[in-house]
Amino acid sequence: MAFNVLIVDDSAVMRAMIVRTLKLSGLPIAAIYEASHGEDGLRTLNDEWVDLLLLDVNMPVMNGEEMLRRIRAEERTRDLAVIIVSTEGSETRLAALQAMGAAIVHKPFPPEVLRDTILQVTGVTDVEYYGSAAATGDSFDF
Amino acid sequence: MSNITDQLLRQATASTFEELAFLFPEDECSESQLAVPLDATVTVDFHGPMRGRLVLRVSSCLLPAIAANMLGETESQKVPLQRDALGEMTNVVCGNLLPALAGADAVFRLDAPQWRTDAIDARDGDSPLATAVFGVEAGRVDAQLFVFSGLEWLETVRSPHAIA
Repeated sequence: MAFNVLIVDDSAVMRAMIVRTLKLSGLPIAAIYEASHGEDGLRTLNDEWVDLLLLDVNMPVMNGEEMLRRIRAEERTRDLAVIIVSTEGSETRLAALQAMGAAIVHKPFPPEVLRDTILQVTGVTDVEYYGSAAATGDSFDF
Repeated sequence: MSNITDQLLRQATASTFEELAFLFPEDECSESQLAVPLDATVTVDFHGPMRGRLVLRVSSCLLPAIAANMLGETESQKVPLQRDALGEMTNVVCGNLLPALAGADAVFRLDAPQWRTDAIDARDGDSPLATAVFGVEAGRVDAQLFVFSGLEWLETVRSPHAIA
């Protein structure tokens, strides 16, 4: 099984960094979709099958909090695995996002933190994907 | 308060350069670094219980290295991406500075980074609340925090978070 991933971030550079990290991570990625704000992201979710959403918070048009709220309200996307990738530091806001079932990765992030969080939220382990030899390795050729 | 704010700005800027761009700021600038102009500027405005602006000025000779380390060598020669990379750096510095400064309960909204070609007076008559200057490779970095309103609020929430 390979993941279809949607990255929603208004920064083209941050999206490119995340794509680069995903490609270097060794995770089995099938397709990577990109969107620059929440509304754009919802359109992509409507058109494509997505297994994992990597979502920024502060964005124009529709922010990440609102996009996540709408995703959880929709039956088709209610259980989508979501990771917030943001500089957001407000515990109030982070708690609200976590209450909606999102994991948090704080920018700037080491590549292995993103990979490990993806494995965690998708419910699979290194062992399932790469065999036991890879399960303990946390180094990245980055 | 200014010394602590300077220190927090210094920490947020240095750690962002280290972790996002893999560049290691030096506390003291050499003569050759001081001779290089700060000719690339990005600002991020923030709104919330206090309102202000983070200004990041760097020597443009650093832009290819920042872009290369964030995006890879092939992308690093594209000037728009170099600018976007500096914009994202500024966004991350600001995003990490505000909770360190104002506490984790405060909620701020950050505007998109703005590339500046004009003189970067924050607003007429304003002076920065905090400044941090570093030498980085062959150039230098200057971060400035301006607070336009909400300083009184900051004073009231500041002390519990200041010693971190």
